[in-house]
Amino acid sequence: MIFRNCLPSMSSKLIVPILFALATATACGGGSSEGEQVLNRLNDTEIKYFTNGKRLYSTHCANCHMENGEGLGQLIPPLKGADYLLNDVGRAARIIVNGAKEPLIVNGIEYRQPMPGNTSLNASEVTEILTYITNAWGNSYGGVSLNQIKTALSTN
Amino acid sequence: MKMWKRVCLWLVAWVAIACSSPKNSRLPILGIPEYKEVNGKIDTLYHTVPNFQFVDQDSALVTEATVADKIYVADFFFGTCPTICPVMKQQMLRVYEQFKDTPNFAILSHTIDPEHDTVAYLKDYSMRLGVPDNKTWHFLTGDKDKIYQIGSGEGYMVPLGENEDAPGGFIHSGAFLLVDKERRIRGKYDGTNPKEVTALINDIPKLLAEYEQ
Ligand code: HEC
Repeated sequence: MIFRNCLPSMSSKLIVPILFALATATACGGGSSEGEQVLNRLNDTEIKYFTNGKRLYSTHCANCHMENGEGLGQLIPPLKGADYLLNDVGRAARIIVNGAKEPLIVNGIEYRQPMPGNTSLNASEVTEILTYITNAWGNSYGGVSLNQIKTALSTN
Repeated sequence: MKMWKRVCLWLVAWVAIACSSPKNSRLPILGIPEYKEVNGKIDTLYHTVPNFQFVDQDSALVTEATVADKIYVADFFFGTCPTICPVMKQQMLRVYEQFKDTPNFAILSHTIDPEHDTVAYLKDYSMRLGVPDNKTWHFLTGDKDKIYQIGSGEGYMVPLGENEDAPGGFIHSGAFLLVDKERRIRGKYDGTNPKEVTALINDIPKLLAEYEQ
């Protein structure tokens, strides 16, 4: 009863902005997402790698390279848009397993903090992580195969 | 019918007032207070961070006098930390970017590995993080026992410790502590959680406002 009487007097002032806000939110939520583009690039096996890789990345890597792949200042290099990663995925596989001690240059900036190795990860897991990091955040490397990574890791 | 309308108006006004009240609510004072009788009156003594003396990334001496007229945020980290520190520093950068030009504000980041994290190391670390000077954000090193002491129940009340089994060799807390000008702890936030750090960023102006009378 109370609210029915309230509504008419409020409607003109309140409902319009509420509708407007809702419309804006819906409009901004649209558009093709990054996910769709990744799906177009990868086959079914690779999509499975990507999904598992995302989970492994959260556990093993995100605390340093960040969930958004941007790294931290000049202390921890980015993976998003990183020439070092995208130019040589086999080398990146070896870094993931063995870590890195020597300074390295990513997109023209030198990084000097050591990265610890992940010796507990097997070749499949490394393939999954690499599929994720080379295709997330706008990176568009495409598929990474298990054979390719096994070969890269055997030339340790 | 007229009366209903009036009830509606009161209702709307009441909701508006109720929703705006958090603005003038004060932040809590953390820690267990002591009560002391002084001249027949009961005095409340709040937990305060004791005096301290450390050195920052520019070799400047940083003591309680450095923050005498400032509110500040304190945390603990170490440079080679493989776990939560990078995320903490990413989040502290958000706080820094927001308040680096606020005169009555400081950040004190204490290393818990002073043997490794020397003044020179902390200078390089802070520069690489994107902090060009020690105007607002001090990266502190010093006597190891003193650092652990100020982190303990005597000071910031966070768990810290050396442990061979912990990743990187140290157990440590990811907490950010908000401290007022009287060195009372007014807030504790999880520095690895962006939502809690947003809460901290919202609380800093509230605490500053307490001193604007
Ligand atoms: C303790 C922090 C830390 C963790 C955890 C970590 N990294 Fe790194 N990573 C670094 C640092 C620091 C470097 C730079 C190493 C150097 O300068 O020698 C680096 C370098 C790299 C590089 C080569 C440089 C580049 O940006 O292309 C790749 C690729 C990489 N990391 C991927 C990973 C992946 C994948 C994981 C998870 C399995 C991971 N890292 C976990 C800190 C970390």
